[in-house]
Amino acid sequence: MDIFTGLINGFSIALAGTNILFCFLGAIIGTAVGVLPGLGPAATIALLLPMTYVIGSPVTAIIMMAGIYYGAMYGGSTTSILLNLPGEAASVVTCIDGYQMAKKGRAGAALGIAAIGSFIAGTVAVVGLTFFAPPLAEFALDFGPPEYFALTTLGLLLAVTLSGGSIIKGLIILIVGLLLAMVGLDPISGKIRFTFGSIVLQGGFDFVTLAMGVFGLGEILYNLESTMKTEIVTTKIGKIFPTLKDWADSKWAIFRGSTIGFFIGIIPGGGAVISSLASYAVEKRYSKHPEEFGEGAIEGVAGPESANNAASSSSFIPLLTLGIPGNAAIAMIFAALMIQGITPGPFLVAEHPDVFWGVVASMYVGNVMLLVLNLPMVGLWVQMLRVPYGILAPIIVLFTTIGVYSVQNQVFDIYSMLFFAALGYGMRKLNFDPAPLPLAFVLGPMVEQSLRQSLLISGGDLTIFVTRPISGTLVAVFVLLIVGQTLFFLKRKWR
Amino acid sequence: MSHMRKVAVLMIMALVFAPLAGGVCFGAGQYPTKPIQVIVPFSPGGSSDLLARTVEKVWTKYSPQPMLIVNKPGAGGVLGEEYVVRSKPDGYTIYVGQGSGHDLVMPHLQKMPFDPLKDIAPVARLSIHSIVVCVSAKSDFKTMADVIAWSKKGNKVTAAVSTAAGSVDLVMRAISKRTGIPITTVPFKGGADSTTALAGGHLVIGGGHPSEVLPHIKAGRFRAIGVALDHRDSTLPNVPTLKEQGIDVATWGSVKGVAVPLGTPPEIIEYLASTLKKVCEDKEFKKIMARIGQPIDYLGTKEWTAFMHRAYKDYGDLIKELGIKL
Repeated sequence: MDIFTGLINGFSIALAGTNILFCFLGAIIGTAVGVLPGLGPAATIALLLPMTYVIGSPVTAIIMMAGIYYGAMYGGSTTSILLNLPGEAASVVTCIDGYQMAKKGRAGAALGIAAIGSFIAGTVAVVGLTFFAPPLAEFALDFGPPEYFALTTLGLLLAVTLSGGSIIKGLIILIVGLLLAMVGLDPISGKIRFTFGSIVLQGGFDFVTLAMGVFGLGEILYNLESTMKTEIVTTKIGKIFPTLKDWADSKWAIFRGSTIGFFIGIIPGGGAVISSLASYAVEKRYSKHPEEFGEGAIEGVAGPESANNAASSSSFIPLLTLGIPGNAAIAMIFAALMIQGITPGPFLVAEHPDVFWGVVASMYVGNVMLLVLNLPMVGLWVQMLRVPYGILAPIIVLFTTIGVYSVQNQVFDIYSMLFFAALGYGMRKLNFDPAPLPLAFVLGPMVEQSLRQSLLISGGDLTIFVTRPISGTLVAVFVLLIVGQTLFFLKRKWR
Repeated sequence: MSHMRKVAVLMIMALVFAPLAGGVCFGAGQYPTKPIQVIVPFSPGGSSDLLARTVEKVWTKYSPQPMLIVNKPGAGGVLGEEYVVRSKPDGYTIYVGQGSGHDLVMPHLQKMPFDPLKDIAPVARLSIHSIVVCVSAKSDFKTMADVIAWSKKGNKVTAAVSTAAGSVDLVMRAISKRTGIPITTVPFKGGADSTTALAGGHLVIGGGHPSEVLPHIKAGRFRAIGVALDHRDSTLPNVPTLKEQGIDVATWGSVKGVAVPLGTPPEIIEYLASTLKKVCEDKEFKKIMARIGQPIDYLGTKEWTAFMHRAYKDYGDLIKELGIKL
């Protein structure tokens, strides 16, 4: 079997002195980037790109960049859990239960299960990448506008049901998110919307800016007027590692999350976000105690954190086998490969087996490193909660400001972050749960664009959504969810 | 402790004297004496970014100071260029991506915060990214005539284009206008997305720059059926132009030039233009550019300035003729 000889060859490359060193370096940088709010893997890889010319060997360079990318997924959950501050879109759902766990003194358990879940999911996804990459890549190509529409609409539905509180408030926030996402250029006609003549608004608001403002700064502003934070510090931080019961509660969530993440991650664009959303919704539904969700259910951390990690690894499938970069960070790795003289695509395995198998094997190694690196760090991160809030808060503000600027190098983004901070503060004051906002912001434009593209293709015929197998199935799931939810609601009302 | 102190004092002294030392060594020296900031008005990983990074890689062979690439995406390239227009004209802020479309196409459609011909000083042209019209390799189309014949039988032609009123959209609308067949253009979020959709067979035709479509052509998913330039593209020498096939459509696609803020001293412009020329003639640069599907089309400052004016007018005429309005 040539997969095995390829893999063994790959391991001999990945375990060679310099490669293992750079894999480790990538894992460390990735974890740091994931922990630092705002700073993302794409900007970091762009920054380090000139350094990779000096490294010389393309395999070594790509091993390091891949390490930064999936390493960031490990680190992303840290601030979500400790500070209610998502490092990226895919970690938004982790805030919901992760932060509640931290408030109850179970931050260690949440961080621990996130690291273990990430490790299992990362490894599962790399196994999938090893054995099934080429056939699955074709599956990614089957996703056209109608399929994206069905998938993202499903994602929006999940986003509404996500918030614990009232459905009406959830819907209001959802619509605010959709409206904010409409600022800028109309994706189909190119007309300008809601910019009030401002050139800088033509590009629309940036996602990181919104997430950092609404969650990070909004939370800080809100905490300024309460003494709630001191409670966290005084409550016992609790056991660092998850207990056997925690593991029993979350093991299936991890496996379900890994599977969901792996498949959805293959689809270019939005994969990691939708996979973590889907995983959270599935866990809430399958749970024997759904009422605990939103109050600090460990499955609500384990599932989505596994899903986004699996998705980050499986997003290498379209890159390595089709030459299609699915998101900004992968696009940077794509650019690095091209400059190094390697064209990602169907011939990569044949033309550069060392690169393909070396990188794949390094992902096994990297995941082990990240687990070893992250588990002991849990104890250290938890100590962060002991830092007096008066010191911690300004540091967070500083890092988010730098992080937000680093995304597009635009000062305007810092101002808009302040605007979003005020919005986030207002929402907390009025008891709105902000969780659906960033999700609507990410999914809304995708829903709009794919709907209008589909109708352009079909000439206004709506049957395009049900006659194609993948979108038909997704639409059926959507309808089932709505009908099921309605029946459930009516049944409860009649009692 | 005293050791630490000494180290600290030394470090501070080094910090204080570093700029002085620099002054002594290079003060009388010539430009450049510090790294040059290169503004790319698009996201990392795109074709302009790839070009800038390829230049950056080779640049240090010919210049004592490296380039530092800063991506300032937004508003289709306008924000990055506006930043350069407002920067200090000292030669330490330069711009890669002049001619990309936001400065040739957009001014004919909407108000701009600056005049792309008058408010920035061109330095040199590096490349022209033509528009290559492609179909799925699974289809039976071999030439443009096949597509036209198929359409005349009453079939609907849908086209995947990078963005609304972008360079690919203009080419498709021009083809529709000149041949009389209706083409429904479907805009995406950029070249990578639109080519992926065409690769999945969700639309009939599409197009993109060679760097975007070459990987798909090599993989046997695309067949290139026409180049929208007035001459063949050197990265795809076997693909005939649209004009050769009797369709009078030729645009400049997306041109990639270098510019500096207005008021930059002529000797600095001269230095940049001549160094870029050396870069364009470099063997390693040629090798990478061929691999990433970007033809090298160097033009010096004077010719590039004239070209910008011409391309600006050509696009204006085309947009007026097609009646495109936002």
